[in-house]
Amino acid sequence: MTTSKERSSLQERAKQRTTGAFRCLSCFKRLSPPKGATHYTCPQCNYEWRVAWFTPEEPRIRGPVWDSYEQLTQDRMKGGK
Amino acid sequence: MEKVLVVDAHKCTGCRLCEQVCSVMHEGSVNPHRARLKIMKWEIEGEVLPMVCRQCDDPPCRDICPMGAIDKNDDTGLVQVDYDKCIGCRMCVSACPFGAMDYDVVGKKVMKCDLCGGDPQCVAFCDPAAIRFENKAKDSSNARRAAAEAARAVQSEKDR
Amino acid sequence: MSLSRKIAFVDLTTGKIETKPISKELRRKFLGGRGLDMYLLYKHTKPGVDPLGPDNVALISAGLLVGTLASASSRTHVGGKSPLTGYVGSANVGGFFGPEMRLAGFDHLVIRGKAEKPVYLYLHDDEIEIRDAEHLWGTDTRDVQDLIRQELADDDIQSLCIGQAGENLVKYACIRTSIKNAAGRTGIGAIWGSKNLKAVAAKGMRDIGIAQPKEALAYNKEIINQVTSAKVSKTMQKLGTPFIWGVTNSTGLVRTRNFQLNQLVNADDIEPESIEEDLVGTAGCFACQVHCRGKYFIKEGPYKGTYDEGPEYTSQGAFGAEVGCTSKNTVLVCNHLVNYYGMDNLETGSMISWAMELFEKGILTLEDTGGLDLTWGNDETVIELVHKIAKREGIGDILADSPLEAAARIGKDSERYLVHVKGMSNLHSDERPTPALALNIAVSSRGSDHLRGRPAIDLYHLPEKVLRQIYSNPIPYDGPLTSDYRDYEGKPWQVMWQEHLYSTVDCLGICKYHTVFLGPNMPAYEEWANLIRLNTGLELTPEEIYRAGERGYTLERLFNIREGMTREDDKLVDRYHDEPTPLGLPVVRGRFIDRDKFKIMVDEYYAHHEWDENGVPTREKLEALSLNTLDKSGSEPSNLV
Repeated sequence: MTTSKERSSLQERAKQRTTGAFRCLSCFKRLSPPKGATHYTCPQCNYEWRVAWFTPEEPRIRGPVWDSYEQLTQDRMKGGK
Repeated sequence: MEKVLVVDAHKCTGCRLCEQVCSVMHEGSVNPHRARLKIMKWEIEGEVLPMVCRQCDDPPCRDICPMGAIDKNDDTGLVQVDYDKCIGCRMCVSACPFGAMDYDVVGKKVMKCDLCGGDPQCVAFCDPAAIRFENKAKDSSNARRAAAEAARAVQSEKDR
Repeated sequence: MSLSRKIAFVDLTTGKIETKPISKELRRKFLGGRGLDMYLLYKHTKPGVDPLGPDNVALISAGLLVGTLASASSRTHVGGKSPLTGYVGSANVGGFFGPEMRLAGFDHLVIRGKAEKPVYLYLHDDEIEIRDAEHLWGTDTRDVQDLIRQELADDDIQSLCIGQAGENLVKYACIRTSIKNAAGRTGIGAIWGSKNLKAVAAKGMRDIGIAQPKEALAYNKEIINQVTSAKVSKTMQKLGTPFIWGVTNSTGLVRTRNFQLNQLVNADDIEPESIEEDLVGTAGCFACQVHCRGKYFIKEGPYKGTYDEGPEYTSQGAFGAEVGCTSKNTVLVCNHLVNYYGMDNLETGSMISWAMELFEKGILTLEDTGGLDLTWGNDETVIELVHKIAKREGIGDILADSPLEAAARIGKDSERYLVHVKGMSNLHSDERPTPALALNIAVSSRGSDHLRGRPAIDLYHLPEKVLRQIYSNPIPYDGPLTSDYRDYEGKPWQVMWQEHLYSTVDCLGICKYHTVFLGPNMPAYEEWANLIRLNTGLELTPEEIYRAGERGYTLERLFNIREGMTREDDKLVDRYHDEPTPLGLPVVRGRFIDRDKFKIMVDEYYAHHEWDENGVPTREKLEALSLNTLDKSGSEPSNLV
């Protein structure tokens, strides 16, 4: 049992958090868009995401670019992936 | 330089953590009724306002005290109670226009903010920084900067 | 000290009030909050009790650490036998009531009987008054709280209350406090309505003593830093729980048009960043620095200028995706209305979307709906149905019943379009691509419920090493764990681990957003052991705390079995198995829950719990949890209060 003086394993791991990145929801690659970007295309799977910043340093996926997303998905499904 | 608690009501989330840590800091117990500050709420309108001791320049609590138990420190500006002289008559509670001088029904004594001896816990714990501990002069300079920035944004929009 | 708080037994039929202390033994076994709530439910109801009869109980339970320096320590449980499901009725609420109840001297309330006329309870200075509420009957959940403060001339009073929905016995009426805090699920509001209990008000001035004040202050600061530095907290501070939408709807994990689609396409208006444009700030529950509740004024229409708080992720689904609406205004208005009337937003939206699918299929006609056009995406209809349900008017009277009762009233194969488990509707998440999440809702102790055991971090694609650190603590686990949320392997352990985690955090009275729910590095058992020691003086090891959570969860299982639940109830509706997902990213498209693999998952889940193949806790397990002061039937837990 840890005491309050020591840090718990969770607190230790919390220090290894990454910033400025999110995972592509399609291929799970970790992506770091340029600061302030509102759109970003995953270099691995080509999905384009609308990006929002919940702090000046932290981006997140706001949503897909619906039209190109649906087309890309249809192509992928045909390709059997 | 005198430092005081500066409140930014727009940032306050109304969580009352400040009341909680204040009562623990001073009394070792959680009891918002023994806290030295209070979050006032107008729930249905969604409004909150933290009420803190202003550490007045000319404190009515000091002036009205028949025992001379309340005093304003020349260096720090802190308005403080000398409990050796205090008789618990609560005249100061009646005189305070902000309700910041309060009566502790558990400890049976008047109570007010003592700025935690220079490290106010309400400030230390307030993540949104709705309560800050700042030089007296800074209060107006912050507001001035915020207003100036808003005006500047409008100006540059027009220029474009 | 904080442990001196009492249990009060209030009989509304006779007006008799009795208080009892809570023994250390009971504390060590069940901690408080949800665990003790369940103990009291099991102990103080008879098998087969009518949920809306006088012999059912209305329970209120503050968690062990409520009000103490444990960050976000506001959470309080309400309970009873659910009028919605007939099984465990239990719902959790934040706000400010719990701390105030403890300041007034009480940790638990067991309310039984039925008052002759509407009443409310007033808790103060170790006393309870039963007061007349005839003049409050018929008021909404905001006015009633205000009126009680005026009547007792005290702004500090905090109340739990019901609105018109509870009075009208809407089967999923909730308990409300402050502007939007709700103990939402399982219809506890209808229990209060059946007892003529309008509100429970509290005001207290008794110290909640802290065992080691200086150390507790410093450690609390550390916990707050651990929580607020997490990405998920920073996101919620700005966007509230709607932030989840960014992940789930972008992927294709949102049930849409009842359960026909799994993505609401072109729903930009109800995206979190769009909702955030309407927020004027955020509000926090007691002592919480995550402050995830948005504050907003409705901008247009008949409710223009009305203030409310939220909306939560659930409202985006209930009044957006499920009903095919893409209007922010509809979400904000309906969120306000369910708060106003006091009913569960999740169940309300689910019932409306179910009715809309019945309308599409021709099972409900314009004649049945009183001329209301239940076409997908009809914003006016959705808003109108919320009113009708709360008032039990027209078609709203049917939809105000439980899903299974409503299906029985409508007939015509309407039941196959319900999306529920054990008679409680599913969240708007589509779990067909995510077996872990599907298992969680299927086995949850209070019917379909993501807050009983959802391994939400399963969606984060965390490395196996990280998963192992989390899921083998404090109980060792060396079975499989995988990063792919589409897998079936190892998921039963994750579900059980999360069930015990949420059970424990609910016993403590800390918010789930302060533990491993949406953020993997949040506080858990080690931190809780410290918080319990510093705040209350109780020495408990992380494993003992884990076992206390497990004990409470096991007791919920025992209660459900007592009320007739079997393995057959731990299931998903057929559509999960028979209709593959049509939309979303390639990773989730065409997915469904395989029946055979699902059965294996349930078997493994029972085995991890040490329950037999029918889902009944084994005698050995009950003894290990010291739930072994058994009666003749072999299922009665220990008899301490």
